[in-house]
Amino acid sequence: MMTEVSPSHSNVAKRPGGGPPDVYFSELAGDPEMAELIQSFVNEIPERVRLVERHWERHELGELRRIAHQLKGACGGYGFPQVGQAAAKLENGLSREENADLESVAERVRELVEMCRRVRAS
Amino acid sequence: MSNTENKPLVLLVDDSVDVHRLLLARLRHEQIELVGTTRAVEAVEMARRYKPSTILLDVDMPDLDGFEVLRALKEEPLTNNVPVIILSAKCGSEDKVTAFDLGATDYVTKPFDLAELRARLRASLRLDHLVRLLSERADVDGLTGLGNRAAFNKRWAEKVAECRRYGTPLSLALLDVDFFKRINDTYGHPAGDQVLVELARMLQSESRSHDVACRYGGEEFALIMPNTGPQEAQVVTERVRHALATRVWSRHPDSPITASVGLVGTNGPVSEITPEHWLEATDHNLYVAKRAGRNRCVVTELCERPLTQPLQHGVEPQPRNEAA
Repeated sequence: MMTEVSPSHSNVAKRPGGGPPDVYFSELAGDPEMAELIQSFVNEIPERVRLVERHWERHELGELRRIAHQLKGACGGYGFPQVGQAAAKLENGLSREENADLESVAERVRELVEMCRRVRAS
Repeated sequence: MSNTENKPLVLLVDDSVDVHRLLLARLRHEQIELVGTTRAVEAVEMARRYKPSTILLDVDMPDLDGFEVLRALKEEPLTNNVPVIILSAKCGSEDKVTAFDLGATDYVTKPFDLAELRARLRASLRLDHLVRLLSERADVDGLTGLGNRAAFNKRWAEKVAECRRYGTPLSLALLDVDFFKRINDTYGHPAGDQVLVELARMLQSESRSHDVACRYGGEEFALIMPNTGPQEAQVVTERVRHALATRVWSRHPDSPITASVGLVGTNGPVSEITPEHWLEATDHNLYVAKRAGRNRCVVTELCERPLTQPLQHGVEPQPRNEAA
């Protein structure tokens, strides 16, 4: 049931343009029962970002939609609702694969990836 | 089979591994056993296998829509009573109406409020508990506490299927109280009821723990004897018949009560017979016992070969006449 975890440090958060460290903390960070779960979820985020980027580069829109769908649920569940909303926007943008507006999908991919990179456990 | 453990079993169907992890951790302290699948297509099969006390069902799954799963669960007799809580990111009333119309018990929106989900899950488990109690009650005869005819039909079909599959011995006896109407008419219905209750008690005390006694209807009782050939089965039913015949009744001490018994059993294997035919043959033997003067047991052994023919033409019933 566990997905493979292979943290890839090359993809770990870069602070955009040296600007303010605008990061997202989990809303559930104060819940001791959740701490470990949130940490392992955050550890896997770089891997997921890499999947998003790879599927986008290869134009695998069905797979991209699947990842977005999972991220939507997971981010919501682990206390990152804004990131979950970004994932939902991407999923919706891909709901009709044939007629997907690729420019707006590109924008949504960028937005989601950017937000994912700012996710912190605590 | 119902849950063997004391903890109720909850089945989680959600394509997201994250949701599984989350709920596994968050429901850790609930008194439940959580099993799950990320594949919607497996949901119905798992529900059939595990007979869960509640199903948590995601709607938005890539391989199969959760509503389709719900529909299939409600169409399947083994799972249609299991409470289903829909998990969905959609909070519009249209989806909720669809869910409830399809037979969902509850609807929880994602991301979950865990306290709320826990409370709703507990409510659902209470409902399941009541439904199970009710369905057990529906199988119980009110007067004697034995299984009723519906229970008999179920258990008998199961036992015949086992017997055919594994070639194990199996016997069925039908017992009918002799001149029961006369008891009711002469001494009143409470006296008749007392006879039925007492015979039910004897069926249980004189049979073995794995035998299944049911009230088939009126003054007729059925005793299913798994792993028991007709010879051994006859020893059991004769014990019951003897116990009844020698009982002294406070309401009518000078009128003993007897019963007639039809018995059909096999030492196995048999492959062709249906539960209905077996029952008919047993009923036929009961009829023969009545015709031959009552208070006796008529036994037939089923063998592989004569089963393709009606029993009347195969093995002749052997009346065993004993004075009680």
